[in-house]
Amino acid sequence: MATATMPARARPGALHWIRKNLLSTPINGFLTLVLGTMLAVALVALIRFVAAADFTILRVNLALFVVGGFPRDQLWRVAASASVIAAMTGLVAGLVWSGTAARAREAGLPLTPASSLVQISRRFWPLGLVVAVCLGLTQTPGPATAVASALLVGVVANRLGRAVPSGARRWMWLLALLLPIAAYLTLTTSGIGWDQWGGLQLNLFLTMAGVMFAFPLGILLALGRRSSLPIVKGLSVTYIELIRGVPLITLLLLGVFALGFFLPLELRPSGVTRVLIAITLFEAAYIAEVVRGGFHAVPPGQTEAAASLGLSAFQTTRSIVMPQALRATIPAMVGQFISLFKDTTLVAVVGFPDILAASGFANTQPAFNAQGLARITLPFVALAFWAGCYTMSREARRLERRLGIGER
Amino acid sequence: MRVVAQLVAVVVAGLVLYILWFNLSNNLRRLGIRTDFDFLSQPFGVRIAGSDLSPGSSVREALLNGVRNTLALAVVGLPLLTIIGVLVGIGRLSSNWLVAKASALFVETVRNLPPLLLIVFAFQAVILRLPAARSPITPFGWLVISNLEIHVPGISSGARASTYQLILALSVVSGVVIWWSRTRVQARTGQPHHRWLWTLGFIMVVAVIAYIALDRPLTISLPVLDGRVITGGFGGLGAFFAVLGALVLYTASHVAEIVRGSIQAVSKGQTEAANALALSNTQRLRFVVLPQALRIALPPTINQYLNYVKNTSLAIAVGFADVTLIAYQAIGNGQPAPQTILILMGCYLTFSLVISAVVNVYSRRYRLVSR
Amino acid sequence: MPTSVDGPMILMENVDKFFGTFQALKDINLVVARKEVVVVIGPSGSGKSTLIRCVNRLEKHDRGRVVVDGIELSDDLRRIQEVRRETGMVFQQFNLFPHLTVLDNVTLAPRQVRRMPRDRAEDLGMSMLEQVRIPEQAHKFPGQLSGGQQQRVAIARSLAMQPKVMLFDEPTSALDPEMIKEVLESMEELATSGMTMIVVTHEMGFARAVADRVVFMADGQIVEVGTPEHFFTAPTEDRTKQFLAQIL
Repeated sequence: MATATMPARARPGALHWIRKNLLSTPINGFLTLVLGTMLAVALVALIRFVAAADFTILRVNLALFVVGGFPRDQLWRVAASASVIAAMTGLVAGLVWSGTAARAREAGLPLTPASSLVQISRRFWPLGLVVAVCLGLTQTPGPATAVASALLVGVVANRLGRAVPSGARRWMWLLALLLPIAAYLTLTTSGIGWDQWGGLQLNLFLTMAGVMFAFPLGILLALGRRSSLPIVKGLSVTYIELIRGVPLITLLLLGVFALGFFLPLELRPSGVTRVLIAITLFEAAYIAEVVRGGFHAVPPGQTEAAASLGLSAFQTTRSIVMPQALRATIPAMVGQFISLFKDTTLVAVVGFPDILAASGFANTQPAFNAQGLARITLPFVALAFWAGCYTMSREARRLERRLGIGER
Repeated sequence: MRVVAQLVAVVVAGLVLYILWFNLSNNLRRLGIRTDFDFLSQPFGVRIAGSDLSPGSSVREALLNGVRNTLALAVVGLPLLTIIGVLVGIGRLSSNWLVAKASALFVETVRNLPPLLLIVFAFQAVILRLPAARSPITPFGWLVISNLEIHVPGISSGARASTYQLILALSVVSGVVIWWSRTRVQARTGQPHHRWLWTLGFIMVVAVIAYIALDRPLTISLPVLDGRVITGGFGGLGAFFAVLGALVLYTASHVAEIVRGSIQAVSKGQTEAANALALSNTQRLRFVVLPQALRIALPPTINQYLNYVKNTSLAIAVGFADVTLIAYQAIGNGQPAPQTILILMGCYLTFSLVISAVVNVYSRRYRLVSR
Repeated sequence: MPTSVDGPMILMENVDKFFGTFQALKDINLVVARKEVVVVIGPSGSGKSTLIRCVNRLEKHDRGRVVVDGIELSDDLRRIQEVRRETGMVFQQFNLFPHLTVLDNVTLAPRQVRRMPRDRAEDLGMSMLEQVRIPEQAHKFPGQLSGGQQQRVAIARSLAMQPKVMLFDEPTSALDPEMIKEVLESMEELATSGMTMIVVTHEMGFARAVADRVVFMADGQIVEVGTPEHFFTAPTEDRTKQFLAQIL
């Protein structure tokens, strides 16, 4: 896009570029030399390490990293639910696009074209890289088929979402929001509850479920913190500050070791449920702060204008403040999602088989024990997290820019 | 209406708390677990790596030892991460292409990884692959490194160390007075105050004279390997350095983003206004850009300090005996979980609340008027 | 509720208002008759905005009485809502809702507060937009309009509630000169149609042409009240003369 409008200019020459960007002052030259040498040495070491490394431990244990102890004869369920999630993603993207396009048409603005394949691959290449690495480690055609079908379903759903007539858009949104439940049912109908989940799947599940359950609670807390009723406000502030003052691990310990004491003895929540409760209680406090930030972004003139029109406090909050506040929180919410995704690795510490724990399991298998193979398994886990977090944070920044432009 | 809503909130909150408390006391009674804090005096029962505590020491002593270890991570780590964070943050804005790209690479890589993963990696893939404890290596001659412990140079006090410290403290106090009086001089006469020159110069001169007069009260002590015994320097467990290194880098990457964002947030208009007033480059940075950037950066940076302290609880994953690991082991040894976790949370809360209070006072005093 | 048709539209009696220890309004007495247009002028910080914000209780007065169309303002939320339904307000910064289209901005209050069905509300909204001469902008978002257009939408938004009183808080102060005229024209038409209006403004031309009475405020007090002729030709108070000398 930018390259097309860039004026053609004389090539300044590599030498000029180097002098300007690397050697402009003696200090800069020195820094370039030192840093360049260090980076070169590191790069060479990295290449030699990768070339010499034996990735058998990953090949053998790939399923352990991705789905943990999920019954191996039921893996098609994982593939199917991945397709359902892909359908949801594609549908939502399509609906957002067609919604924006419809509004632009009404307002007589030029249509923003849908992202091209090149743009999409530029935006999501880290995720593609992870999938490619995983497929490169597989020994059966199953995963490749699953990825291909998920991609296909996603693209079809995206086209569908774009083509939906405006009257039916509302129903399609409802459908899109019901799809995660369908994915959940696909995974669980044969009695494989979330206590048997593991690997990356467990991390993703805890992240999504945690945010989903914590979101309503967080909004209530944020509203409570804004409330003019001193007791409601006091309770909300106390909860938020108490939770934000302690590390997640203490809540996980509480959930795993002490939650039972606070419930009737007959009610014994399962392991993952305990963890999910702890994560929800923790996350709600942080989401409350994010939403509060959104409220701050709504200028006081908005409330005054609504009041002068005769809207009640409740109507003002619902129709004027909340829509603007929630819109303003989207980037920060993505940030919160990222940080929860990273935090889900903590469940490994209290004994749940997530993707980080899988690295430990693999390294204690008889074939790989005590060979220092953590330097192969951990970077693999790191790649998965890095790709997810980096992509999401870039998307959040992109959203921030877009939302910023549309306003005022 | 308002009163009713508040009453409802109180009743609901009270009910929830009551049910939780009712269940708790009921269950503890049925299971025969005590509800008091007497267990703090019972023996802890586990030897703590890297400490002199015997397994017979009380739970209380063990927890205090854990708090000390947590604080040690904080005291060493916070200054380190600040320095790295500021350097990398400025580096991202450097005109040197390589420096800017290398800083960006560092930030975008480390920031997007789970801190726990970094800690585990630092321990399993770096520390544990070092030579075994019976044959440590000694690079440069002033480091002693094995996969159990790492020793770095430290400061050892001589005979008159306390006198010297007293003199240093006094010179700092006098330095503040000099700073203040130089400020007054400038305000009165318009002469440049050279506060930094005067103050630091004074302190340096006093420090050097006293150092010579007291016949080297403080010396740098290098760790020395003598057979299997290491003497001198500052030593720590490998796990300590794994947690420290991973968390310092992780938090520094966040601080770097804050630093970069704050400098960029000082608007172009401010720079233009400063230029229009004919301020020099240094004056512009010193009086216009940096003061504003600092005010923008400080609250989120303090927040990162808090996150750092909370993240030290992840030391549990590599067996460094911070307060969380001690609490975890205490529960494992049959001490009552509710009370132990309550104490654990109390430790972190105290720290967080102290820092939040400081931040609140600060932001009330220095709040930038928005717009 | 004694809603007499003949009584004054707005009555302010001995009104005081404090912000902390600073007294923003001192013993304000003002009666605005039905269909009257009152223009409030005065130096900045003189309490003009506070005065009209007390009329629809965006600010709470500390002493005295404020009665709008026979309804006395107190802490009673229902009365406040009743008054706000009957008074429209136009702000210096427009305060349009950026997440709603122009038409949704205009129809929001009729639908939510008056429970009007959507199609009737939209008919009403379009006729209000026609009244301020921007029906073609109905489906755009506020951010896409010029300042003058935004302010006219804000006027239409208030009019859609069919208020008995319109309050204008420096409606042209945030506008570029070439846009001031279009907004003032809309306000003039409104005045001619018989709307009761209180206008805080620095536009002396508007005051001279449209106002029935001009109120001059300084330091939280009403210094002088009179017809525009009296006011601009033979002011009696020294403060008024000083002020007029500065701006005319």
